[in-house]
Amino acid sequence: MSGIDAVKKIVETEAQARRIVDEASTKAQQIISETREQAERIRQEAIARAQQQREEMLSGAKNKAEAEALQSDKETEQILNTYRKLSEERKATAVSKAVELILNA
Amino acid sequence: MSESLEKLQNRILSDAKNKAEETIKDAQAKSQQILEEAKQRAQREFEDTIAKANVEAESIRRSILSSKVRVNRLRILEEKNRIVEDIIHSVEDRLSSISKSEQFEETAQRFVTEAVKAVDTDQPVVRIGFRDMSKRNLDAVSKVLPKGGKLVIDEKPIDDLGGVVATDPEGKVVFNNTFKSRLERLDNQLLTLISSTVFGE
Repeated sequence: MSGIDAVKKIVETEAQARRIVDEASTKAQQIISETREQAERIRQEAIARAQQQREEMLSGAKNKAEAEALQSDKETEQILNTYRKLSEERKATAVSKAVELILNA
Repeated sequence: MSESLEKLQNRILSDAKNKAEETIKDAQAKSQQILEEAKQRAQREFEDTIAKANVEAESIRRSILSSKVRVNRLRILEEKNRIVEDIIHSVEDRLSSISKSEQFEETAQRFVTEAVKAVDTDQPVVRIGFRDMSKRNLDAVSKVLPKGGKLVIDEKPIDDLGGVVATDPEGKVVFNNTFKSRLERLDNQLLTLISSTVFGE
């Protein structure tokens, strides 16, 4: 093999070596790029899960509060009924006492 | 020559492959790190959102409940107020028709005596006016007036419900002893009495 042929061979081999390195570099960039996309997907999924869970929590809190509010309505209705009943039973006595107070104070 | 050329070629290719493998390994390691960091960041964001949602949910719950409790307290107060007002109307009805009761003469005498004493003069002018008041009723009232006193009879009940108003001769000192005036003066006691009798408070 002549010296020129040997140099050609070396030049070809180096070109092949550069291609190997370049391909690896391109593949590495692709790996990083795909990973960044995957990372963004993970973030978006977490945000979506959190938002859904937030909606469920707010809706649950609202429902629970409304149930408690209904209980407050029931208790209030009982108190009002008690007052109405007491008023019927004790009105005459209250009127008499009040009249006595105004007349005799 | 040929053998050493082949070795050189192999070394060049081997070096390139090694470098390529290292590049890929680095990329994979970096990729792993990016993923780990992304997962941790996503978890933090998730936890932050949930923590804020917890606070928000409690705030919504409190807001709904406190609003309802306020409305219900108001309903209770309104009902108590309605009951007390109803009783006061009945009291006013009873007072305004007192001239028909046995208590009238004694009450009218006492009201006149109190009013005359309050204006503190020898010549009081006493206006008296009750609903359905008769002449007979007034004979007893005249007895408690001082000698220099003057009795003025109003045909209509004074201040709507009836009562007595005494003044000195110049009209400078006035004592209002009508039912309406007594109701106003005894307002606090009256409300306390009604509340304790009806609601036991």
